Amino acid sequence: MTLTDPRAALADESNFISYLVGLAGVARVVHALAADGDCPADPPRDDDDFVHVLLGLASLGAAIEGLTETTLAQSNSPIEALLPTSTNARWLR
Amino acid sequence: MNPEVLISMLAELDRIRELTVDLVERSAPRLLPAPPDGDGGAERTTFDLLLGARRAVLGNPAAARTLHDLLVAEGHRYAETPAGAQLRDALIASDAVENLRRVWETVSLNVLDGPSPPNAAPNAWAELLADAVIGHGLDDSVLARLRPEGFA
Repeated sequence: MTLTDPRAALADESNFISYLVGLAGVARVVHALAADGDCPADPPRDDDDFVHVLLGLASLGAAIEGLTETTLAQSNSPIEALLPTSTNARWLR
Repeated sequence: MNPEVLISMLAELDRIRELTVDLVERSAPRLLPAPPDGDGGAERTTFDLLLGARRAVLGNPAAARTLHDLLVAEGHRYAETPAGAQLRDALIASDAVENLRRVWETVSLNVLDGPSPPNAAPNAWAELLADAVIGHGLDDSVLARLRPEGFA
């Protein structure tokens, strides 16, 4: 295959939805990490680049979750009817 | 030179880059530690994941730094929102984040930190590889005494 001769069947093997699911999953891990420690750090820590990388991942995850909420809001079907069996299938909707 | 030739050249350059990374890893065995004993399991899966992450960073420093900078910038933007600021404060107070930071620093060897020319490999990356490869070649008993533990 070349760039001037694309094959439509390759679209079926696209992992794009899996990328989005993976990013959303990583974002949830970031939230889980944040839940580990309710007391102030001693000594106080700074919000360095590492923390901002985690925040960036969480932001991407929030944006991806927002995509599905938009889809659900636009649908006339009850939410229960949209709940699929697998995570990937959920995102595909 | 037509576009097909240029793309072929890019593909070949990427193959050469991959082979070069292989050679560097062989020249600096500490960058490529031996896998844990055993046939598999969670420990081997974790080892492969971490080693893959290290190879992705060391083998593609400019791309890794670009992605790193994009995430940091997005993190700064998110931190300006109420939800982002709340999450930032929780992350700073989290012990799990501190543990993850140690894991990341061990895996990446901090090559993505510090100054970096635009669209180029960060300076720390070049310094680490030079230290790892050249330092290995000069690894005699006298220099070994002068080298702090943990340095290549």
